[in-house]
Amino acid sequence: MLNRLLRKTHRKKVKNEQSSNEKNTLKESDIDANLENTINLFKSLYSYSDNQDVILRTIHIPGINKNAAIFFINTITNPMSIEDYIVSPLLQNNDATKQVEDIITVQSMKTNTRISDIVTHINNGNTALFVDGEKHAYLIGSSNFEGRAVEKTQNENVVKGPKEAFNEKAATNISLIRKKIKSESLVVESLIISKRSRNDLYIVYEKDLVDDKLLQNVKNRVNSLDVDAVQNLSLLEQHIEERKYSIFPTVLYTERPDRAASFIEDGYIVLLMDNSPDSLVLPATFWSFFHTSEEHYLRFPYGNFTRLLRIMALFITLFTSSVYVAVVTYHSEMVPPDLLLAIAATREKVPFPAAVEVFLMEFAFELIREAGLRVPSPIGPTIGIVGALILGQAAVQANIVSPIVVIIVALGGLSSFAIGDISMNFTVRIGRLLLLFAASFMGLFGLTALFTMGIFYMVSIKSFGVPYLSPLTPFYASSGDKIFRKVLQKEILRPGYVKPKDIKKR
Amino acid sequence: MPIRKKLGRIIFSLLALLWLSGCWDQKEVEEQAYVIGIGIDKAEDQENRVKITYLISNPEAGATAQGGGSGEQPREIISFVADEFISSTNLANSVIAKQITYDLLRMIAVSEEFARDEQFIRWIYDATKAMEIKRDIKFLVTKEDTATFFQTNNPILETRPHEYFEKILNTGFNNGTIPKSELNQFFRITEADADLFLGIYSSSEKERRQQSGEDPHQITAGEFQFEGETNTTQFIGSAVFKEGQMIDSLTIEETRLAILLNPTLKPGFFLGTLPDPFDETYRIVIRVENNGPLKVDMKLKSGTPNIDVIVPLTIEVLSNHSMTDYPKDAEKRNKLKKSIQESLTKKIEDLIRKTQEEYKTEPFGWSLIARKKFSTLSEWENFDWMKTYPDMNTNVSVQIKLGKFGRQSDLPRIEEIRD
Repeated sequence: MLNRLLRKTHRKKVKNEQSSNEKNTLKESDIDANLENTINLFKSLYSYSDNQDVILRTIHIPGINKNAAIFFINTITNPMSIEDYIVSPLLQNNDATKQVEDIITVQSMKTNTRISDIVTHINNGNTALFVDGEKHAYLIGSSNFEGRAVEKTQNENVVKGPKEAFNEKAATNISLIRKKIKSESLVVESLIISKRSRNDLYIVYEKDLVDDKLLQNVKNRVNSLDVDAVQNLSLLEQHIEERKYSIFPTVLYTERPDRAASFIEDGYIVLLMDNSPDSLVLPATFWSFFHTSEEHYLRFPYGNFTRLLRIMALFITLFTSSVYVAVVTYHSEMVPPDLLLAIAATREKVPFPAAVEVFLMEFAFELIREAGLRVPSPIGPTIGIVGALILGQAAVQANIVSPIVVIIVALGGLSSFAIGDISMNFTVRIGRLLLLFAASFMGLFGLTALFTMGIFYMVSIKSFGVPYLSPLTPFYASSGDKIFRKVLQKEILRPGYVKPKDIKKR
Repeated sequence: MPIRKKLGRIIFSLLALLWLSGCWDQKEVEEQAYVIGIGIDKAEDQENRVKITYLISNPEAGATAQGGGSGEQPREIISFVADEFISSTNLANSVIAKQITYDLLRMIAVSEEFARDEQFIRWIYDATKAMEIKRDIKFLVTKEDTATFFQTNNPILETRPHEYFEKILNTGFNNGTIPKSELNQFFRITEADADLFLGIYSSSEKERRQQSGEDPHQITAGEFQFEGETNTTQFIGSAVFKEGQMIDSLTIEETRLAILLNPTLKPGFFLGTLPDPFDETYRIVIRVENNGPLKVDMKLKSGTPNIDVIVPLTIEVLSNHSMTDYPKDAEKRNKLKKSIQESLTKKIEDLIRKTQEEYKTEPFGWSLIARKKFSTLSEWENFDWMKTYPDMNTNVSVQIKLGKFGRQSDLPRIEEIRD
């Protein structure tokens, strides 16, 4: 019965698809010279009377004595520019010799005959002008989508360095990048990547740096998408990445235009889209997730101090809780006697085995983290109280966990925040739980085995043909920006693994 | 079957393997009783048994953390007769609730009576068999039964027993009052069958006899006389082991010289006293420090074997009871230097003579240097260090460099004060 029901609904779908197919074939044809026909066609395409924000205005152009119609969607256009630069010049024209192109005083204007292209332009906020007797439409740039202004960064904060972040308008984002790379070789290609919602994707690169093969690879992957809608880059990332089940991210997602620009200057490719307050950088290596832009803005010793802190934080996050469990349950002879006796003393009244105890606290910490993210901001402070007091203090006083476990989990949790990139952050957190799991079953042996497997896996991953750990392994000529960075004057090479056309930076 | 499903099953079965077979050797820390020291005595009337004493640390004593802490005793001591000290853990567990473990074992103590027994070596080699016993633990000899030693020992300031032993043995070695004495050394020297091993000598009972001689550094364990409210245990001097059997004990001074003459050890500095060359009634305090490596020259192949030892020392004179102004007088300084040199050389020569005549071999680790003079092992074995050492010619020369004369070198002239 279920099958029959499914089949029924499926059949209905097919019917709908047929009607849309008819429309599609219609769209592929050219427009009519007869204004009346064209108007009727577009009225039906846009369901004119039902669609509230679709505006059609018919006018008579004096001077050349022709009827014309203006067609636009008023929620995504700038009404002032339509009024000032299209409607009034047309109405006030008295010169019979002038062409329509010359009457309209707007900056950008194109002509097009194909219905599908015209529709795309209208959907993008442009205004279409149809003139009686002419077999093409004038497409006048007047788009004005609502959105935020350029604001401060939210996730990748820096103390020293530019504060502006990408916003949801691709045009603004491109402008932010162009502000940093004032070069004619910076190319912004645009592609439509979805069939129904017609989402635009902008591929930004420097044409005399980027490797053509890499560019072709990216374009192929983007073009081969077969989806109705890709709303933003976060979704696109999941469409184009290679290993969809892997816990390691292979596409860098950054909200900082300065960061995107410096990647472009190194020969990487940046993807931008409307509705995404960020950019995608391809290809990505482990180091691009590990670094932040501030380390280059800070002076050499300060930047490397931060790097040192971060690499230590990375290992602390990964290993504290698992090493604690491994050592306490399997290798107690490794602990110095004072510490071991202190641990044994505090664990005396705790009812759970060490592994369970640590898992409990880790789980509680992840819960606080998730809750803190989702909680509406007016009740946000509650989370702090619940987290700090109840889980830390009370759990210890009630002898549910020992104080040293609170320290260990808090230290690991705190260190995990040093990895700023959201994807890598998840990688590290999941990795930590896996290591903890391995350590609680097989001690240091399990820990080492899993870590080695993890390293094997990392070495095997590639992002758009680039090995994940390059330039560390395999070795590539590069600026040497791995765990530590060099003095700026010594960073003379672009990363060799993206195969830039010009490897020298000077 | 699709590949993903297959892969899923493989991964699941591997995971199940973890669940089902993992957790080997898992032992929670709070479920174990940590033995800090093992004592081995002769069992009374039973030839092939020993009396084992465990010093067990109580983790909760002195802990201030939440969840722990109480007025419990810092230690637990249990003595019983057993076959050896490996299976004895099970016996002890019939009295002690937590699983006995040697994970934190810091030392093995043996009573002098047992250490002097020929059979002793058979039992101590059990320590190489037990998985948990590390080789760097301390080896010490107690004058009385180890059971009495552990029970009488009651440090007042260091609550936790391991802390007390670690600290007192470390300071003792730094001051040169006791040798280093690690279990590993004991096995190495016993197996090399050439040198003497020096073990830490200790006692928890004061002997009621007067100190021998004038020099307070001529004492061994139990002979140090002190009063007050403190622990009675003392770690002084060394127990001499030849071929895995204790034969004698050395005083503080002898122990210090033995450490000085040993090229494998890196001593710190010692404080000692010598007679004052300017006034026989007083003694001077000297601070002795190695000034460069010890030079040991051996001629073993032709005729009577000959050993030349050069001991370079920096000496600081830290007291001046005769109030002589040698810091400013080069002649007096020379006299001082000469006197120190003579008395030190004499002391060293006495010790070497003692080892040659009494022990028939030395505790200085010189056989390690001698080995290098032979190209094959059989040649070395034929040479037989233990047989040849007593008849060797030994020449010791002490090279002295005078260092500072204390923080302030000048003293007022006593005649001026007392005029």
